[in-house]
Amino acid sequence: MYYLKLIWIFFRIGLLNEMAYRVNFYVQLLQSLLSLGTAIAGLAIVFSHTDTLGGWEAIDILALLGVFMFVGGVIGMVISPSMSQLMDDVRLGIFDYTLTKPCDAQFLASISQIRLWRIIDILLGAGVLIAALIYRGLDIGPREALAFAFVLCTGGSIIYSFWLMLATLTFWFLRIENILHIFQSMYEAGRWPIGIYPHWLRYILTFLVPVAFAITVPAEALSGRLTPDSLITSGLLCVFLVVISRWFWKRGLKNYSGASA
Amino acid sequence: MGHPILPPSTPHSQKLTSPQTHITFRPCPTPPTSPSYEVPQREPGLGAAIKSLVSRTTRDVEAVKNITFDVAPGEIVGFLGPNGAGKTTTLKMLSGLLHPTAGEISVIGHTPYARHKDFLNRITLVMGQRNQLMWDIPVADSFERNRAIYRISHGEYNKTLDELNALLDLSDLLSKPVRNLSLGERMKCEIAAALLHRPQVLFLDEPTIGLDVTMQRRIRAFLGEYNRRHSATVLLTSHYMADVEALCKRVIIIHHGELLFDGDLNTLIERFSPHKTIVVDLEVERADLSAYGDVVTAEGNSVTLRVPKTKTADVTGKLLANLPVIDLTVEDPPIEEVIEQVFSN
Repeated sequence: MYYLKLIWIFFRIGLLNEMAYRVNFYVQLLQSLLSLGTAIAGLAIVFSHTDTLGGWEAIDILALLGVFMFVGGVIGMVISPSMSQLMDDVRLGIFDYTLTKPCDAQFLASISQIRLWRIIDILLGAGVLIAALIYRGLDIGPREALAFAFVLCTGGSIIYSFWLMLATLTFWFLRIENILHIFQSMYEAGRWPIGIYPHWLRYILTFLVPVAFAITVPAEALSGRLTPDSLITSGLLCVFLVVISRWFWKRGLKNYSGASA
Repeated sequence: MGHPILPPSTPHSQKLTSPQTHITFRPCPTPPTSPSYEVPQREPGLGAAIKSLVSRTTRDVEAVKNITFDVAPGEIVGFLGPNGAGKTTTLKMLSGLLHPTAGEISVIGHTPYARHKDFLNRITLVMGQRNQLMWDIPVADSFERNRAIYRISHGEYNKTLDELNALLDLSDLLSKPVRNLSLGERMKCEIAAALLHRPQVLFLDEPTIGLDVTMQRRIRAFLGEYNRRHSATVLLTSHYMADVEALCKRVIIIHHGELLFDGDLNTLIERFSPHKTIVVDLEVERADLSAYGDVVTAEGNSVTLRVPKTKTADVTGKLLANLPVIDLTVEDPPIEEVIEQVFSN
């Protein structure tokens, strides 16, 4: 309850922050619509030459695009800004204030910045996803829906933990924004099912930069492609990364305390 | 009167949780194993910068070596020392941000770096050079965030806010975004934000830095009043002697991580600076005042004299009686000078 309340408070602050610069809303709306437009145009061009791509039909890839935008929106709204803020705070020493609060520092750092207008991406993504499902005649049963919700949550947690570990490096290296830019561009690869990429790249996108679990796997769940293996791997990797990133965070905190003298 | 320089090795470590002591700071009871920190090091220049991309060199920093002290509840203690003396490090250790590698630290019965919630609920940290208020949104909303984090009930919150309001005159500021506030207004709000949960122990790292004299006095008066009302323990660092004089009966002077003096402020001034400075503006130029005291500077019709403290009144009287004085001020030597005196001993 306490944590939910804090999340609400930070959402409110996010809204107040956005209200200070209202033009941003329209800029974000335009940007989101443009990127959706170009993505759909890209799909249209590809599927004017072929009927399937790596075994995926156009409508399934549209659903995948929905997941891609939805997850990208969540990252852009909370994870990415909060982690960038964390890195700034550590560098400038403002993180001291987070550490002296009687609340879990990882939690506070993870929701510290909320860029609310990115909610447009989340809504558009959900809209595209639902549109694709309706076009297909709503052919998913409760089992698929449940599996989808499960792998979406585990995939989101995987991405969050991964991002947290990257940001935690800041306790040792102070300036590592560049790593996050690399991640950003790797994430772009997720707009296509990772099955279409060469073997080595598929490996990178699955385990090195776990984009596959956040986007392709949930989209698979919706199109009946999800194998039990993927489902279990996603769950296990989620638990593993959440635990490891927590451990890494605590190591980082110790190091912060040491280096900021 | 005052505590001896470098207090004797500590026989009273058993009173860690005693009500007599709010803070025990003994990061290093046995000097050879002093706490140290590893910090990255880089030579200047482009070549070194490129090299450091591949291999990083670090050096160990001993920030505090021989500093031990206890603080009683309700006491206000001033930390003095030049930049880099270890003042901030000490405050960071006390507020749980730094792990000491040896020794023991206890604050209100807790080990700070365990960062227990009960401990964090009862302390606060204010850093004059760093803000916790959010830049673009009204002050009241930053307060609201702290209210939620510290789980302060609305009733309690309103009561505290009313009190802070009365003491600091915040009412016009709360609805403004922080970026529209002056430095002094911002500092008032920063301090209020840090006190919403009514902490018992305040760690203040240069809370008046960069403020004009009026605002400094305002903040000072507030801190004194807060201490009296709530019997809060305050540890304060400042470069402004006036802060320390107004608030702290006891001062601790550290330099290069070592404790040079711990005791009464008056003792410090008497012991290390038995002089006062008298500045006189005269109607005549180039008057020879060497008969009255040591002439420090003489420019135009302004002369600065240094006289033994005990003779201040006597000399002032004579100056006023014998010379065409336009203006005369008597000052304590600046803190830097007193500290320099401490170092030279």
